[in-house]
Amino acid sequence: MSTLNNSKNNDGEGLIIFEEVSHAIQAEKALREGGYAVKLIAPPAKYRMGCDLGIAINLVEKAGIERLLRKKDVPFARILPTYDGTAELLSIVKITDYDKWYMVKAGNMKLSYEKTSGVIVNTSGGGCPDIPYLHAEMVGKKLNEAPKPSELGYTLCALMLDRAYEEALTIWNGGS
Amino acid sequence: MLVIGGTIPQQDMPLIAGHVRREGDMLVADGQPFSRIQGTGAMISAALTATSYLGIEPPYVVVAGDIGKGDGTRLMYRHLIENIASLQPDFVTLHYCQPFMNLLTQFVNEVEKMENPPFLIADAGAMYAAKAAGQAPKFGIFTPDPSEIAFLADPNATHPAYIANHLFDSGIDDVPDLIKSAYDSKSAATVMVVKGSRDYIAKNGEILATVEEPDVPVLEAIGGTGDTITGLVSAFTYAGLEPEEAGILAAKCNRMGGKIVNPTPATKVAEIIDSFPSVFEQYLCEWSNICSVFHGKAKHS
Repeated sequence: MSTLNNSKNNDGEGLIIFEEVSHAIQAEKALREGGYAVKLIAPPAKYRMGCDLGIAINLVEKAGIERLLRKKDVPFARILPTYDGTAELLSIVKITDYDKWYMVKAGNMKLSYEKTSGVIVNTSGGGCPDIPYLHAEMVGKKLNEAPKPSELGYTLCALMLDRAYEEALTIWNGGS
Repeated sequence: MLVIGGTIPQQDMPLIAGHVRREGDMLVADGQPFSRIQGTGAMISAALTATSYLGIEPPYVVVAGDIGKGDGTRLMYRHLIENIASLQPDFVTLHYCQPFMNLLTQFVNEVEKMENPPFLIADAGAMYAAKAAGQAPKFGIFTPDPSEIAFLADPNATHPAYIANHLFDSGIDDVPDLIKSAYDSKSAATVMVVKGSRDYIAKNGEILATVEEPDVPVLEAIGGTGDTITGLVSAFTYAGLEPEEAGILAAKCNRMGGKIVNPTPATKVAEIIDSFPSVFEQYLCEWSNICSVFHGKAKHS
């Protein structure tokens, strides 16, 4: 397993740029499965169109990463030799207790489920067009049977909903 | 005319443009039915409920199917960019869509060419794009929730997923500071209606009012309860109220509509929207002067 240097401005830093958020999510999954240490991150402002996601990598691993992404048919735009101008994804998750239900909030996205059954009863927040779609696909299903937002969605809102979903699933499974 | 632009979570749904009406549990425009359950559908449904009650022209909607790929967003913006001058609306509300900064900017540029440009309102993806593209001051009303006002307050964030952790960790009492920061960084509309456990209505950097009653905390968990405020504030502004008055009235009506249905986190927003006519009947004239200033003739007059 490789490691990723968390601090900025270090030698060897690199950034993969994608045309679509969904491609970045696919790439992160493929690279993690391939043993690479990667992190989802906002591209520099000049590469942003409004709903953007990049992946921070160790530049020394560029060749292997390119080969793996091509083998997995994951499209990417280019690989930059820098982290300059990037931004971190929001990492805080908040829980609200509504008696029989929990609401889990990540960024601008909220997911509520019934404590006893694990059934998702609502999602709220967000402004990207896949959020109403994910609402329709997830509400009424148990947490462990519902589609993962990161696999069905296409946007940063879906990624935030995925974080809320993962936290809810952890709590429901007895984690903290 | 009030134009509402947004997307519907239905793959391959074509562009629909026309005045909207309700048929059963669906909305219909240009002969095409679409869902009123979530997102822009809920927002349109709330606006239509208000315009129907007041007896004024229903919203003209421009919507297309989009499940996150951006295809419907492009159709919606292209149609608006090409037709906004001939439509000559008084108000335009933009809602759920991919936050494409270039298309939002092209639309605003077309609006600025008009002799009588419409009053612009934005929420959701359109608001994200307006802020990220530096177009926020050209909008008359934004309707963010607390996490979205943190996004607007963060000059470096281009999407709510990238707001700084310390801003996300802000409480409802910190919202006034976030509103000030949003205005200071030119990321605010003229009027801000911040939806939360305490609603804040601000204009040009000054907080004019807060709305806290009735207190229905569970509304935060119910998807669409922010969209309904956007729909109501659009309709009330269109009916002739000043934007800040429309914001206060929308916040009060939304809370009362929520209270009436005795909600839980499992409540659907459609139930709340269906309670609005009784809220209007009981409180609209008491809470505002809309009964004397709107363009049309109210059913209750």
